[in-house]
Amino acid sequence: MMSLIKHEIKIDESFYKVEEIRQLTRETFSLILPKARFAFKAGQHISLGIYGDYQSREYSIYSGIKDDHLEVLVKEVNNGYFTPKLRKLKVGDLVEIHGPFGNFGMEPKATETGKFVFIASGTGIAPFRSIARTYPEIDYALIHGVRYTTEAYDRNEYPGDRYILCSSRDTKGTYHGRLTGYLKNCTFAAETQFYLCGNSDMIFDALEILKEMGFERDQIHCEVYF
Amino acid sequence: MKYHLITLGCQMNLSDSERVSSVLESMGYMHTEHEEEANLLGMLACSVRQKPIDKVYNKIAQWNRWKNNRNLVTFVSGCILPADKEKFLKSFDLIFQMSELAQLPEMIREYGVVTPAGLKTPQPVMPKNEHISEMWHIKPKYQSTYEAFVPIQNGCDKFCTFCAVPYTRGREVSRPSGEIVEEVRQLVCQGYKSITLLGQNVNSYGLDKNGREINFTELLRQIGEYGKISGEEFWVYFTSPHPQDMNREVIEVIAAYDCLARQIHLPMQSGDEHVLIKMNRRHSMDKYRRIVADIRELIPQATLFTDIIVGFSGEGEAEFQNTLAAMNEFRFNMAYIAMYSPRPGAASFRWENEVAPDDKKDRLHRSSEVLKIHSREYNETLVGKTMRVLINGTDRKTGFSSGLTEGKLIVRLDRRDDSLMGKIVDVKITSAADFSLSGKEAPLNLQASSPTLLHRRREQGNEDSEHFILNRILHVKK
Repeated sequence: MMSLIKHEIKIDESFYKVEEIRQLTRETFSLILPKARFAFKAGQHISLGIYGDYQSREYSIYSGIKDDHLEVLVKEVNNGYFTPKLRKLKVGDLVEIHGPFGNFGMEPKATETGKFVFIASGTGIAPFRSIARTYPEIDYALIHGVRYTTEAYDRNEYPGDRYILCSSRDTKGTYHGRLTGYLKNCTFAAETQFYLCGNSDMIFDALEILKEMGFERDQIHCEVYF
Repeated sequence: MKYHLITLGCQMNLSDSERVSSVLESMGYMHTEHEEEANLLGMLACSVRQKPIDKVYNKIAQWNRWKNNRNLVTFVSGCILPADKEKFLKSFDLIFQMSELAQLPEMIREYGVVTPAGLKTPQPVMPKNEHISEMWHIKPKYQSTYEAFVPIQNGCDKFCTFCAVPYTRGREVSRPSGEIVEEVRQLVCQGYKSITLLGQNVNSYGLDKNGREINFTELLRQIGEYGKISGEEFWVYFTSPHPQDMNREVIEVIAAYDCLARQIHLPMQSGDEHVLIKMNRRHSMDKYRRIVADIRELIPQATLFTDIIVGFSGEGEAEFQNTLAAMNEFRFNMAYIAMYSPRPGAASFRWENEVAPDDKKDRLHRSSEVLKIHSREYNETLVGKTMRVLINGTDRKTGFSSGLTEGKLIVRLDRRDDSLMGKIVDVKITSAADFSLSGKEAPLNLQASSPTLLHRRREQGNEDSEHFILNRILHVKK
């Protein structure tokens, strides 16, 4: 009698099909993928690869932990290797995701009593959108530095009194100038926890400003984009 | 049939190579030091810098030339960037990840090679693409009889911008704690004296299992408990911890158990806050400072080692001065100082490195000089003390042996006796140099005594060691 062998088919859970691409500006778009198959803390990042390509890059998760879709925010870098390839992705293409990674994520406990100031430059807003969508009730202010106000990605999702847009090259934001210029004139409660995300120059400058204001280094959490 | 294996890079690769050797010898291959006489040639590659990768390319070109006249099979494993992997596929006969090591015999057989063991015992075909745990089940062929490396974790999730390991070894995967403690137990039973737990970020051990595995502190505690009941004298080290996950509990556990060595390797990389951010190290200097303070408070006898990179992108003279200031603050016993070189595959490889080679050399020299001062000053405080030293080799000077203290300080012993190799002996320190100590065998030789008497004799302890031992003997006699 022939034995029946049942072959187990293993599906690699790290592959996700692109379900939608949201064009936010000429250079910036978000990839909308199926719901995350892993638990993550709002603010954490993942490693993103393209099926068939051997390179990968790290991206903060742009969606909230309970959202029906996993989303990442991407800005195309001129002459870059990876982002132009991401740009060419179409609905139905496969990407490979590993993670979540990092300690930048926000613990649910911390959200109950704290005061938070989120400071972002450009697409560095991604982890803060994830946090704001996950914990809309928390006491936060989001200071977002961009060149043009068109880069205020999904600004309508944030309550108007919590989102401060600093635009350096047009005057349509809350503040005209670099976000560090705005930051210098702010006052914050002593127990505030600061979360900084974006390019290293912005983080260095903001870090120094906050230290000069007397905040401890432990109150300042940094996630550098590179 | 003979094999020759070239291992490049770090202790992790060395540990992996011990398991590769074990698999090959179980197939009937015999090791040879001479690649010219081997039928199977393999390399464990390292992608940390370009130089070892260049070596892989040079070597395989040579081996492929030999193939014109000889029957050869070549393989490569280790830390390989995806881009190099694509190229290696064309040059090597076999390429595999450590997680596939259990399938290596099958791969070699599929290549048409019949080995003595293969003729006798058909090996079961292992399912492909199984987990790394299969590799950990392979008993390694340890290269030393007194010093062993035990992998506890593979991969890295930290994404430091200067490093490509997350892309070469993949995500952090922790080895089951039961296996680790058992391997340590077996090593101790076989007389091993120096055991190093290996991982890219040992203190995030277990975190990938989401509560289904103990954490690093608990792993150390279990090993410490075993050490306590074993009655043997041995030293357990770990490398490398990441300051981000290092906590006071780890240091408290080390303080509580004799077998957990008083030597901490805590990579700092830079003493400058901005450079640390650019390196994506995810910890502040304050955090590093607190860890060192905990070490000094809870295990004041511990030696402190570190890694430093000079000339990283964004490091100007002011930033470098902060590294020197940190070195002066922490007074490391040893620092592995490297001039920054962009590593293919790492994020910083895509950046412009604006620090001139001469500036890097200059910073390497200046930081080495600072290290030398601290190391020597510490070493000089040990002169006159008696220390436990693991003899691990012969010194270049005829008639002398060399060894390491528990704190991994190099000691030259004024006697050569091959029977001492791999043994821990008492050495009275007679002189100190920049990075080493010299000594003679201590007059009070308690090597044959109960190891429990010998425990707790830490360098730079409050008591003179000999006096301490006598007190312990009196105490036991009571």
